[in-house]
Amino acid sequence: MTDSTHPLAYEGPAIAVRELHKRFDELEVLKGIDFHVDPGEVVCVIGPSGSGKSTLLRCINRLEESQAGQILIEGEDITHPDADVDKLRTRIGMVFQQFNLFPHLTVLRNLTIGPVGVLKQDKAAANAYAKEMLGRVGLADKVEAYPSHLSGGQQQRVAIARALCMQPDMMLFDEPTSALDPELIGEVLDVMRTLADEGMTMMIVTHEISFAHEVADRVVFMDGGVVVEEGPPSDVLDNPQTDRAKQFLRQLHEH
Amino acid sequence: MDLTPRQKTRIYVTSMYALAAVIALVVAFAADWERIGRNFFNTEIMADMFPDVILIGVRNTIIYTALSFGIGLIFALVLALMRLSTVVPFRAFAIGYIELFRGLPALITLIFIGFGIPLAFSWSIPGGTLGAGSMGLAIVAGAYMAETIRAGIEAVPKGQSEAARSLGMSKTRTMFTIILPQAFRIIIPPLTNELVLLIKDTSLFFVLGSTVDSKELTKFSRDFMNLTKNATPLTVAAILYLLITLPLTFLVRRLEKSAAKAR
Repeated sequence: MTDSTHPLAYEGPAIAVRELHKRFDELEVLKGIDFHVDPGEVVCVIGPSGSGKSTLLRCINRLEESQAGQILIEGEDITHPDADVDKLRTRIGMVFQQFNLFPHLTVLRNLTIGPVGVLKQDKAAANAYAKEMLGRVGLADKVEAYPSHLSGGQQQRVAIARALCMQPDMMLFDEPTSALDPELIGEVLDVMRTLADEGMTMMIVTHEISFAHEVADRVVFMDGGVVVEEGPPSDVLDNPQTDRAKQFLRQLHEH
Repeated sequence: MDLTPRQKTRIYVTSMYALAAVIALVVAFAADWERIGRNFFNTEIMADMFPDVILIGVRNTIIYTALSFGIGLIFALVLALMRLSTVVPFRAFAIGYIELFRGLPALITLIFIGFGIPLAFSWSIPGGTLGAGSMGLAIVAGAYMAETIRAGIEAVPKGQSEAARSLGMSKTRTMFTIILPQAFRIIIPPLTNELVLLIKDTSLFFVLGSTVDSKELTKFSRDFMNLTKNATPLTVAAILYLLITLPLTFLVRRLEKSAAKAR
């Protein structure tokens, strides 16, 4: 749908992270990360918990502040003190592990509060677009429902639709299926697969290895705050080079 | 004597009932019912009090409460936001204010506002008893409710503000459209409790003096008591207070129950 409405034709990675360092007090979580996502590319980030993959994702729309290094969104350094964070975030869709829908608002209001309140879109147009997006995630009949009346899988699909309503240039997924019951994971992955097929630029932190294998253009394996290995899924997932990646994947397969 | 635990319980409960019955009988026979009736439930005096006890007493109590609560809620919201601010002087002011006015008797604050300020500055809060009294109680209630609102804000999950910010909302817009509506839902029961306390605290307005038309329920009844040399007006006031507060406390309990269910 959003056939990339880049305001200025920027040539280069959608997301470029250079030498990124992040610490929580004494604990260094990111130890000099170099990372990028090209326009239209789907990058899955995998790794054991505590490896810093979610922190990296959250740094990219500055939900976490980094201490050193650069993050460039379509060429613009967002770690710069003068960077307009609010404006930056309207271009980056974010999907959380816990969905984080607004429980006091209907599904429709959840979807339009950003476009109307932040992007100053016309309310009727925003409503129409929101309904279209709900249809895309298969929940056209839930317009007036409240989030608490939806299943986890439905809530996460609404959350994806909410992000899409901002017509973002790229989307970040922070373990989008980790809080879901196993039987609800498929419906969310289906929506994400469609998005990927349509050319959305996506960074996905996930434990769904087979999904990563199928959908990702590139897989990044992180451990201990550094990128250990990266490449096409067939290399990183089927034929890992490092012991740490081998061990991690073996543990996953044992489950 | 060997008794099973069940028998022990039965003996205990029976003897407690017996004791209660004895006390009730003693009170019933020893009490001077004629005197109690004449002094506390005198129907002639009751009839004399109406309709002014409603038109003046209850009416003023409700007006004073509503005004104190409304202004207090605004103070509380501003204080709660200051208390959570990253700006240290704001935070320090809010903490100082809250600790000061929670620590003082409301009566002292009222006297300060009603007499201290006019003495010091030759200026008094406009509106007479209504203005000074409401302002005084609002200042005190603001301190209490600020902590309630802060707790409500902190009870909203962090993911809510993260989701709002990730849509590009500013901090202020996030606070007013996402966080506060959820926070207020959480704190309706404690806020209603604060309202009940305020209803009773308006009886402190008497220290500010009053005209015939500005008496609230307690002052009205006390003056009537002095006039009639009889305690019946106090009984009437007590019943009227309960008629206002009991439905509210009942409402709080229901809200708390439904809130517990929602979780």
